[in-house]
Amino acid sequence: MPITLVSPMNEIAIQAAPPAPRLAGLQGKTIALLDISKPGGSVFLDRVERLLKERYAVANVIREMKPTFAKPAPPGVIEKIRGADAVIEALAD
Amino acid sequence: MSNLSLLAILQTDCPTCRLITPYLNALADGPAQVRGVSQDSEDATREFVHQMGVRFAVERDGDFALSKRLGVVTVPTLYLIDDQERVVRQEPGFDKTALNEIAALLGHAPVATPYDGAPQSKPGCTSRHLEVQTEHASAAALNLHATRGAAASTVDLADSEDPHEYCFRVFKDPLPVVPPTRERVDRMLRAAGRDPHEVIARIPPCYGEATVEKIAANAVMAGCVPEMMRVLIPLMRAIADERFNAHGVQATTHFAAPLIIVNGPVRSELNFHSRQNVFSNVARANSTLGRALQLILLNLGGARPDSIDMSALGNPGKFSYCIAENEEENPWEPLHVDQGLSREQSAVTLFAAEPPHGVSEHNARTARGVLKSISYALATMWNYRACMGFEAVVALGPEHVHTIHRDGFTKQNVRDFLFENTGVPLRCYNDEPGEGVAARGMYKEIMIDGERCYQKFRAPESIKIVVTGGTAGKFSAVLGSWSAGPRGSQMVTYPI
Repeated sequence: MPITLVSPMNEIAIQAAPPAPRLAGLQGKTIALLDISKPGGSVFLDRVERLLKERYAVANVIREMKPTFAKPAPPGVIEKIRGADAVIEALAD
Repeated sequence: MSNLSLLAILQTDCPTCRLITPYLNALADGPAQVRGVSQDSEDATREFVHQMGVRFAVERDGDFALSKRLGVVTVPTLYLIDDQERVVRQEPGFDKTALNEIAALLGHAPVATPYDGAPQSKPGCTSRHLEVQTEHASAAALNLHATRGAAASTVDLADSEDPHEYCFRVFKDPLPVVPPTRERVDRMLRAAGRDPHEVIARIPPCYGEATVEKIAANAVMAGCVPEMMRVLIPLMRAIADERFNAHGVQATTHFAAPLIIVNGPVRSELNFHSRQNVFSNVARANSTLGRALQLILLNLGGARPDSIDMSALGNPGKFSYCIAENEEENPWEPLHVDQGLSREQSAVTLFAAEPPHGVSEHNARTARGVLKSISYALATMWNYRACMGFEAVVALGPEHVHTIHRDGFTKQNVRDFLFENTGVPLRCYNDEPGEGVAARGMYKEIMIDGERCYQKFRAPESIKIVVTGGTAGKFSAVLGSWSAGPRGSQMVTYPI
């Protein structure tokens, strides 16, 4: 007599989203810098912004900040960085 | 002459679909029929056909009926179909070897050569109907408002399979579980008395559907009695409450784990234990309810300790973390009354808690003496110089409560005393930089025993008082929180 087990697992397929295509270069690009509002994030991103402009001739830098690192970025923040060629996120302390 | 035809499921914005299209054109020039199916809008599909010079017929799968029927996971996926409309081969993504094998089966010369400029293989994109987030209404988003979910799948184990080993292998929990047999799950469902496919909550961070049946299967695994379903249903609503922010609690690098606190008549009805060893393995009700929550968070929420749950050191509470308040030894109002419910109402409360930190105080003879001991433990919450960003549960042992109450303290007096007497001396900030120092501009300065201090907590209400534990021994415990308040996790209480 076979035993029948009921699956306790999530059965809704979750697929990893493919990463955006990598950029061939930074010149003339728009780069978004996303601060998740952890201490030190702005220090890191200030330096990155300077390097992007001085060394890599990016056309435009968008600075955005999540209101809290403890939750996903709200739609308003995502909307402001949509359209950037690439995003650099400062994740931790 | 082959009796096979080729069906290609495509998305107009998928780079791999664009990579494969010229090869499909080459196959369409041969004897076999080639059909494309686009998962995108009419306009996008027309543009794609024009841009790519598509030479085969492309129809649309507007409602994804075909994609769902075929079980498409990735685009492109090629299906070789025989004259009985049966799928004889399917090939996801782009692969030159597979393309040439398919070409041969279709009676065609090879279409892909090693040096034609395209890579040997390239993975595809997620099928549109499986995408979680989508910009366009044409794509099928997850229906987060559906109130009914699918039936759980079942598996028949061969007689040779040990069900316990099967559970270790497939469900991946490191501790043994009770195998969730159909009969055991059905007993839970009968006790629940609800539609088994009703979606009670979606469990962060992966938002798996907690149908009554899925909750029941996990409750069986945890060893719950069927009557525990009446606690698990409101507990699921609590864990999915946005104020609790299980998405963050489950993914953080911090120590936090959801602590369940049970109040009201349900404690005696289901044999929850609130006395000695309350944080330990003392009662089936406490241990299995805590474990059921953890299994649901793993199996439906998806925050597994080797992947999405990023806690640096973890928390033993992630095995099971459930206490009941010892209301019989509490001379004040219990926690669920503080949280707005009546005393007669059974309730579950969730708090994103660090492990308990013990406070031993056997020699203080006054409320003040006991509470001063507790305030010094509270002063080191999070970090000795950090203030205001967190909350705490103070689990008062009955002997301490007796001493405090004898001196005429109300529960509010206890909160106020701890609030006013817990602080960090300003001299601590003269040392080198560290956690909590940069934010000191926001802290409030107070005097504690004649010394200038920063006040540890934001408000008296940041200190949550619970009476619990055994009547022998002058002990209490303090439990720090994760990041608290609207920007972190807030305590939530649900009626049972």
